[in-house]
Amino acid sequence: MLQTILIVDDSPVARMIMKKCLPAGHNLTIFEAGNGQQGVEQYERHRPDLTFMDLTMPVMDGFEALRRIKQINPQAVVIVATADIQEKVLQRVATFGALYTLKKPPTKEALAQALERGAAALQQVSS
Amino acid sequence: MNALADTLFAGEEKDILQEVMNIAFGQASADLAEVIDIFVILSVPDIQVVRDCDLPDYFRQEISCSGSVHIIEQSFLGKFSGQALLIFPSGAEKDLLKLFNSNNELGQIDIDIDTLEQETLMEVGNILIGACIGKIAELLQDIVTYDPPRLLAQDFSLQQASCAPVAKGSFAISIRTVFRFEQQNVEGYLFLITNQHSITWLKKALHAFLEAYE
Repeated sequence: MLQTILIVDDSPVARMIMKKCLPAGHNLTIFEAGNGQQGVEQYERHRPDLTFMDLTMPVMDGFEALRRIKQINPQAVVIVATADIQEKVLQRVATFGALYTLKKPPTKEALAQALERGAAALQQVSS
Repeated sequence: MNALADTLFAGEEKDILQEVMNIAFGQASADLAEVIDIFVILSVPDIQVVRDCDLPDYFRQEISCSGSVHIIEQSFLGKFSGQALLIFPSGAEKDLLKLFNSNNELGQIDIDIDTLEQETLMEVGNILIGACIGKIAELLQDIVTYDPPRLLAQDFSLQQASCAPVAKGSFAISIRTVFRFEQQNVEGYLFLITNQHSITWLKKALHAFLEAYE
């Protein structure tokens, strides 16, 4: 069961859209970060159950942030959220250990599915 | 965004505009990669509002190229209208041609190399501009049509530019992205220049975009 999520995106609107797409009445605690570096710091501080990671960000991009989070915790459950779904991008984030890639802008259905998949992955690494 | 942008767009509008551009350029990268089978990397789009008389200085400041450049221009027309300017350093056309001609198929066509290189610049412009503008229009529920791309300037020195190659208007919204084709390490700059007429519509469209999530 997911309790905490971290949304890493440089765009406050993207973070807001993501939060608006969460299922109504969710009891998730949400942490936010405005770039990859802050994302890594927030991850270390809060150890969220699931992290949504944008890729194209200033200061530190999502590829590097994903790599560092996986170094901190190889079991970290990270879903990449990006509009850029080039095959090479998908391959690269998969290599770095992302659970999968969620296409932006997200829909409520897609986000509900992402939470389900995130919860299943979390259960798998916890057992 | 800069101070002039603050006078035109409220805080939330700027954030929505930035996110729409992020999504549009991201999706355009993916579409482009599919069309030309090349890994395309686009930087975070940087949005500025610039008076048309300040555009030459703005270009000089934004483009890190000391030599001459080629400028490909394509106009787009819809509720969101304007001009797209794609700027490559001189010489990039040779690398771009290699991207499209990896099997040397073009060597069999009876066209001189200079024409082929010019055509390559325009075709890259057509694909890149179409992908980016098309995504913006799609996200904002607009339909745009395009004029054919044209090579506005060849081996042009930005240092000597005194007027901007855009329509007269009080200011322009410039959206700049730096893109790179990984295999050839070719870099270019894309500027979308739109005008005051599009802004009223754009502001409404930005709000409508976000309201869809209410």
